[in-house]
Amino acid sequence: MEHQDYQQLLIPHSLDALEMSEARELEAHLKTCAECRAELTALRDEVGLLAHAAKPAEPGPQVRARILDAVHAERKEYRGGAAVTGQVVPIRTRANWNIWTIGLRLAAGLAFVALLIGIVVLWRREVRLRQDVAQLERQLNTQQHELARDRDALARQRELVALLNSPNGRKLEMAGAQTAQSARGAFVYDQKTGKAVFLADGLPATPADKAYELWFVPKGRSPVPGRIFTVDASGHALLPEQIPADALESFVIAITLEPKKGSAVPTLPIYLSTPSS
Amino acid sequence: MQAEPSQISDNDLLHAVARADESALAAVYDRYRLILFGLILRILNDRADAEDVLQEVFLQVWRRAGDFDEARGRAFTWLVTIARSRALDRLRAAGSRARRAEEAAQEPADEVGDAALDALNAEKGAIVRDALAELTDEQRKVLLLAYFEGLTQTEIAERLGDPLGTVKTRMRSGLIRLRELLAPHAN
Repeated sequence: MEHQDYQQLLIPHSLDALEMSEARELEAHLKTCAECRAELTALRDEVGLLAHAAKPAEPGPQVRARILDAVHAERKEYRGGAAVTGQVVPIRTRANWNIWTIGLRLAAGLAFVALLIGIVVLWRREVRLRQDVAQLERQLNTQQHELARDRDALARQRELVALLNSPNGRKLEMAGAQTAQSARGAFVYDQKTGKAVFLADGLPATPADKAYELWFVPKGRSPVPGRIFTVDASGHALLPEQIPADALESFVIAITLEPKKGSAVPTLPIYLSTPSS
Repeated sequence: MQAEPSQISDNDLLHAVARADESALAAVYDRYRLILFGLILRILNDRADAEDVLQEVFLQVWRRAGDFDEARGRAFTWLVTIARSRALDRLRAAGSRARRAEEAAQEPADEVGDAALDALNAEKGAIVRDALAELTDEQRKVLLLAYFEGLTQTEIAERLGDPLGTVKTRMRSGLIRLRELLAPHAN
């Protein structure tokens, strides 16, 4: 709508005779148009004179007293709160504390409390759900880990079986030394390729900062480091190994306990070894 | 209040009411009760209801006088606007507008003659009534239905069985004519 269209609405609006939607549109325009606002003010003053078209009438004499009593009582209410002198601006917010405002405030307060409770309940539920999800994730991780370990173990067992069945397959028995008399083991390998599987049982549990290390001791030479490993609670280990090419001809295998990252030379004592033939 | 109430302007009276001056409120009542009660009674056509509403109006004046801003219209306009809205609210709440309107058309109750009014208000009343008499019947009817019954243009068209466009034209031409007639008396 243009400015002129809004001007057309001013007269009916001054009589409150517009439909709601038109009145709202015009009110929006009035916020930005000083000219229309001034025109509406003038029109309202003229429309106000229509009150004179009603015949004046005398209200009952008690009405004046009723009004002044009510007003006086309201002022006394203000005075109840604080010492007030003659000329005082009424505290309108207090005056408006009728049953509706109190009811609305109460309702708003209750709604707020309900909202807070709702937020707390949802928050706690979310925390619980997060904990559940974290727990499930942990379980899943553990299971995946276990599954991966089992799959590894299965693959090694298959390798072991394949090596045992191979025409080039050889098996060396290993016996516990003085420090681990109940330990025993086996070293199964392909004497052509050097591909091997090492199997141990009954080794003492691995201390936290240590690891077992496997050594190849070729005849007449210094030990060559092999795989670093730990054992499970029953002292069991099953792991793939590769025999160094220059040790393939003749060798002894020994297991020692070393620092976690392994050593370049073995630290005595020996835990498990093949017979030193 | 230092001066005689009758010498104080409407604006100053309302400002005094805003400062919680009870005697100023009494002065406003004494000055405008006949016109405001006449207006409310014309809308409601029931003395007891009209007296209730008159009391509500003056309590609102007491509480809201601080909102009165002379830059946004006359004190008289502010007063009659409150009275008219309160009365129309009561009329709508009563929910029997048609019946009451019929009764209102019959016989206005218990009115007072111009003699009971102060000279200024009596003169203004006469000027407005004379000006209204100058309008066509159709123009006057549309303006009075909007003003005293709170009808929208659409409702007036339904009530009178006239096209909406016609009602709009009559409202517009009626108010413009009224403005012309009242202009010489504006001060």
